[in-house]
Amino acid sequence: MILQPFANEPILELRRASVRAGLDDAMAGVDAQLPMRVPVMIGGDERFEASLVSTDPGEPERVVAESAHATGGEVDAAVATARAGARDWASRTAEERAEVLLAAAAWMRERRLELAALEVRECAKPWPEADADVCEAIDFLEYYARGAIELAAAPELVQVPGERNELRYVPRGVAAVVAPWNFPIAIPCGMTAGALATGNTVVLKPAEQAPGCALRIVQALRAGGVPPGAISLLPGEGDVGAALVRHRDVQTIAFTGSQPVGLEIIRAAADVVPGQRYLKQVVAELGGKNCVIVDADADLDEAVPGIVSSAFIYAGQKCSAAARVLVHEAIADQLIDRVAGAVSVLDVGRADQLATEVPPVIERAAKERVDRYAQIAQRDGRIAARAEPVPDRGWFCPPTVAVDLPPGSPVLEEEIFGPLLAIERVRNVEQACDIVDGLPFALTGGLFARDPSTVRYVRGRTPVGNLYVNRGITGAMVGRQPFGGNRLSGNGTKAGGPDYLRHFVEPRALTENTMRHGLEV
Amino acid sequence: MTDLTEPAAPEREALEREIHRIGGEIAGAFPSSARHPVRALDARAMELASSDRELKAALFRFVDVVPACRSLDDLARHLRGFLDEVPDAPLPIAAAMRVSNTKAGRTALGAAAASGVKHMAHRFIIGETPSSALGVLRGLWDRGAASSVDLLGEATVTQAEADRYAERCNDALQRLAAAARKWPERPILEHDSAGPLPRANVSVKVSALTPLLRPDAPERGRRDAAQRMRPLLEHAQRLGAHLHIDMESLDSREAVLDLVLELLSEEQFRSGPSAGIVLQAYLRDSPELAATILDWAASSQRTPPLTVRLVKGAYWDHELVQARQHGWSVPVFEVKADCDRNFETLTGTLLRARPNIRVAIASHNLRSVSNAIAYNRLLGGDDSDLELQVLRGLGDELQDALAAKGFRVRTYCPVGDLVAGMAYLVRRLLENTSNESFLSEQARGVPLDQLLAAP
Repeated sequence: MILQPFANEPILELRRASVRAGLDDAMAGVDAQLPMRVPVMIGGDERFEASLVSTDPGEPERVVAESAHATGGEVDAAVATARAGARDWASRTAEERAEVLLAAAAWMRERRLELAALEVRECAKPWPEADADVCEAIDFLEYYARGAIELAAAPELVQVPGERNELRYVPRGVAAVVAPWNFPIAIPCGMTAGALATGNTVVLKPAEQAPGCALRIVQALRAGGVPPGAISLLPGEGDVGAALVRHRDVQTIAFTGSQPVGLEIIRAAADVVPGQRYLKQVVAELGGKNCVIVDADADLDEAVPGIVSSAFIYAGQKCSAAARVLVHEAIADQLIDRVAGAVSVLDVGRADQLATEVPPVIERAAKERVDRYAQIAQRDGRIAARAEPVPDRGWFCPPTVAVDLPPGSPVLEEEIFGPLLAIERVRNVEQACDIVDGLPFALTGGLFARDPSTVRYVRGRTPVGNLYVNRGITGAMVGRQPFGGNRLSGNGTKAGGPDYLRHFVEPRALTENTMRHGLEV
Repeated sequence: MTDLTEPAAPEREALEREIHRIGGEIAGAFPSSARHPVRALDARAMELASSDRELKAALFRFVDVVPACRSLDDLARHLRGFLDEVPDAPLPIAAAMRVSNTKAGRTALGAAAASGVKHMAHRFIIGETPSSALGVLRGLWDRGAASSVDLLGEATVTQAEADRYAERCNDALQRLAAAARKWPERPILEHDSAGPLPRANVSVKVSALTPLLRPDAPERGRRDAAQRMRPLLEHAQRLGAHLHIDMESLDSREAVLDLVLELLSEEQFRSGPSAGIVLQAYLRDSPELAATILDWAASSQRTPPLTVRLVKGAYWDHELVQARQHGWSVPVFEVKADCDRNFETLTGTLLRARPNIRVAIASHNLRSVSNAIAYNRLLGGDDSDLELQVLRGLGDELQDALAAKGFRVRTYCPVGDLVAGMAYLVRRLLENTSNESFLSEQARGVPLDQLLAAP
């Protein structure tokens, strides 16, 4: 099989009116199909009942999808099906599996606008973000398909006369994928694609906020030729995920989501239950408290837009989003003034409006959480900007900039996952690095500085998984910015990077004696 | 109605002969002491920079950071930092790096570098404020060159910044118009067959008039910019000044074009002020854009006619990199000859569209300029119905030569402080150190016949 080298799926060129013109039709097409019905899908079987609903965060009366809620028995059935399905799927060559994943990518490519429109509705992802998410899903399929072929080529070992040495990477078995809603197609698709490309079978438990998007992923994979036994879908709430990751026959758990849930999964995975014959491997991508350092020689014309977009695009609901700015005191007033001015004119609105920069947050509980932190910020410090008013229907939070917060304030230490940015003054870059180094998180980080020695210094001292210099700190691209954090932000597995697939395989070495009675045969 | 189209083959030959004749005449009128405009720059630095990609990057990054440095020591550290990244530093650079090992050495190096950058900036930027630029503008007028003042500014990210920029534009209009009233008469710079041409001429950037321009959603920024552009147009109208709306990168093109055509269609602006727009020949779709502008001009019957300034375009590197990063088709011509040919085609398109528009050809390429003059004459146009434009600091010698030969030339003059001017300066330096640029070919002594050859 000859494949073109990997290239990222190009995002829509929305600056052209002719490209924008197609969006409304795509949205109308999706609206006409709502609500979607998302069944439990195990092998070839489907069971639907309207137990749960996902709604449009900008218009909570609009039901986007009704979904079934998987039962404990269905968790068992799905894992058993995946175990049985593994025999066929694992026996195929990496090339054969790649072909299937590429066909799934093609299925998505043909429906890019439709898939993006669904994200706009179900998760209030604004159009450009939703489009980028669909592109990323396609990228994961394309990238891991190629990566698995490379991984299947046995690495060179030392060979001496009289023996033959060989190292192979073989599928681990059943993978449980527990996915978040904030990249509702890309992340579940990426984790699933990584497992499938390397010959594992998958049970996917999507976020209860985004079952509709998850259904489309499964449809894409099955349309591409993934056998029903190799991908099952278990919509439901947290208890479904909890039962799944504890299941005796799950060998790999791929999880992206909050830190508390992630730690719980890691604990559960370490617990060997009766009859369990594997050490569970966990691929965890958890939260962050991401800092952007701005040195005195920064170009503020670049820093201000970079900071504002990193903190507020998609209402700050990205694990990579900027939460804190640590700015050199020499330019702090200027930076705060400009960021505040830029934030106060952000367009807060519904995700289906192209002008919208800050959409609603995902659900009522999220809004209440963000509002609570905003109150703490007001109490402990000073609000430098707040883009108000915001629409009163839907889960809108006004984008807010807080300054003068005391060390130790929860606003500075806890992951808020919403449109609230704190700016702090520091004496110099060293002090900023001390602050970053003191955090338990290490996901993304940013630096605006122009002296090459500053860049080298910060790179040497920053523990984050993804450091961005003189640009925004979100928007990692598959193959270009392998994504994932260190410390309590994750176990360094780097989605979209060259090492990712290694977490889904087990290495097996074979050594054969080729001497028989003094003869090499 | 019969429209004059592209010249036929025999005419084409005659045109080529004319282009070479006119080009020769203009070249002969260049001030003899400085045949090479690149001399306007620090010639040695530029020569070094053009020959070494890494060094060029280091020097550009240094020029860019100068205004943000807090002391001479800080400046020298930055210079040293950038030069450290150049693998094989040429001798003079290595010497500079040794000097920077001591504090005293760094102060000296910082002072030298700061004065070098300032010197370079002053070639392109005529003053910090419109008032301080009036002397230079008057000097240009006396040398036979009109001007357009461009107010450099930092990026506009807040409403307050947009208000300040609009205020600076108003102030510039006011001061220029007042000062220009006292200038002596220069008929060639003040009239064409469509009527009088304002002496006071200001170029404005839409991206500076609003913090809300977004490539994906141009409407909101356009509405916001319109609120600041309207008073500027009214002011220009009262003062009898010209307002030219610059084009920037492709990200804002739709907003700028729609804004200008929409405002100039409004009843209150149907008979003034004199206003203009820019067409960038490096864009592959510029012929369609030209058609949009010309259709509008033909149907609006606005007076005075819209001035269309044809340029090559100043964001070539940006457009190319952005498109490649996103996997988009590259919106600009990647081969210089294609761009030059398109420039000539558009020159013809615009010249044939008169009297619905006024035409300004902005280029330092002697071939492009000679082509415009020759083609205008072929069409039976008067020289006064063609304006030629150059950039301060890059086109000074061409400006003098054109003025000496009796053409109407207008020099684009940036005004602003060093911080605000850096982005502009770096773009100009990029343009000028490109080995393919006309100016650098001219400086390298490429024979005139070759310089004037059809692209």
